[in-house]
Amino acid sequence: MGNREKLKQLLTDIFLLDPSEFRFDLSREQVETWDSLAVVSVAVGVHETFGYHPTPEEATAIKSVPDIIALLEYKGIKFD
Amino acid sequence: MTKPELVALARLKDHFQGETAAYCATALTAEVGSRFGISASQELPSRGLGTLLVVGGGSRMDRAKRWRTLESPQTRLIVVPSLWGSGAEVSPIVALTEGETKTILMGPEFLPDYRSVWPELAARLPPETARFACGDSWSHALEGFLSPLASDAVRDELAAVIRELTVLPLGNDPRWFEPSARACAGQAKASVGLVHGIAHTLEGRLVAQGFKGWGHARLCSTYLYPVMAYNVSCNPKWPEQAAKHHLDTAAIDAVLKQLFDAAAYRQLLPVLEAAWPQVIRDVSSRTNSALVRPASLDFFRQVAT
Repeated sequence: MGNREKLKQLLTDIFLLDPSEFRFDLSREQVETWDSLAVVSVAVGVHETFGYHPTPEEATAIKSVPDIIALLEYKGIKFD
Repeated sequence: MTKPELVALARLKDHFQGETAAYCATALTAEVGSRFGISASQELPSRGLGTLLVVGGGSRMDRAKRWRTLESPQTRLIVVPSLWGSGAEVSPIVALTEGETKTILMGPEFLPDYRSVWPELAARLPPETARFACGDSWSHALEGFLSPLASDAVRDELAAVIRELTVLPLGNDPRWFEPSARACAGQAKASVGLVHGIAHTLEGRLVAQGFKGWGHARLCSTYLYPVMAYNVSCNPKWPEQAAKHHLDTAAIDAVLKQLFDAAAYRQLLPVLEAAWPQVIRDVSSRTNSALVRPASLDFFRQVAT
């Protein structure tokens, strides 16, 4: 499974979305279940899935799926 | 120092102010009444008092905390746990399951004013109750330690508690009271995790379905070993984290295995399966050290086999 698919699976699990509801341009305000606890889950899930643990500052700065991808690409994780 | 202030049992009367009465189980009313020279009842007072002394378990302490805060805020509240594990004596949270309803109230106003330890009460607990209380304490300590919200300072604090718990026998021993209180106070600065997410979700359901004897502490005892195994499977850094805080993972693992009851776990599996969508939405589950997903249930099914 590629990193894009892994990220999609991770975020649909965290936000309890149907796969058809997921888009790679989703932002926090578009996802009802993207609350403050989901911020913690995203940090934990990104660590488990991609091996990089966002700092608390990085985790709270994430406002969209593109932000997650940008952070991980900055850390050398490729999303083709 | 863990709040509220810990007072020696022999000095407890020094902290009574105004008219004082005790609220405790029927089995203790005569003894509490004569020991402290006050009236004791299994019912909460019908009017305000100067001081209310509570001797009992987590639910009794929480009922008294709610009563004091909502009905008689001028009353001084002194608590003496008859059982360890819940941490109600040091917690600003009231958690009461009444029928199928779970009520959670939170705020510094719910914290008792003083607490004490009555060591002899430990010997009177049914052995199984004492054992489940040990599992409850372990759950607070480990889930707080592993919480993604725990700071290094909180992890240090909880690691010290875990080292103390590791050498205590799983049963009737008054040495459980104080580290259990510290475990609860420590996890309150971070979060709990999936063990509590499962326990909170199943408690009311089990009552509704006619299961007997499945209180919070027993659920924590039963699920702690599988949940720790799940956490380690998702995040293999546990040995590294443990080593950093001078924790003996083999000794901890041995304790958790002792607490685990495989037959009881299998018996509850259908209830867990049915409740899983709610388990993963529970606030505690969402601050677990490993991500809890819809498919994580498969891990818990495998444990049963």
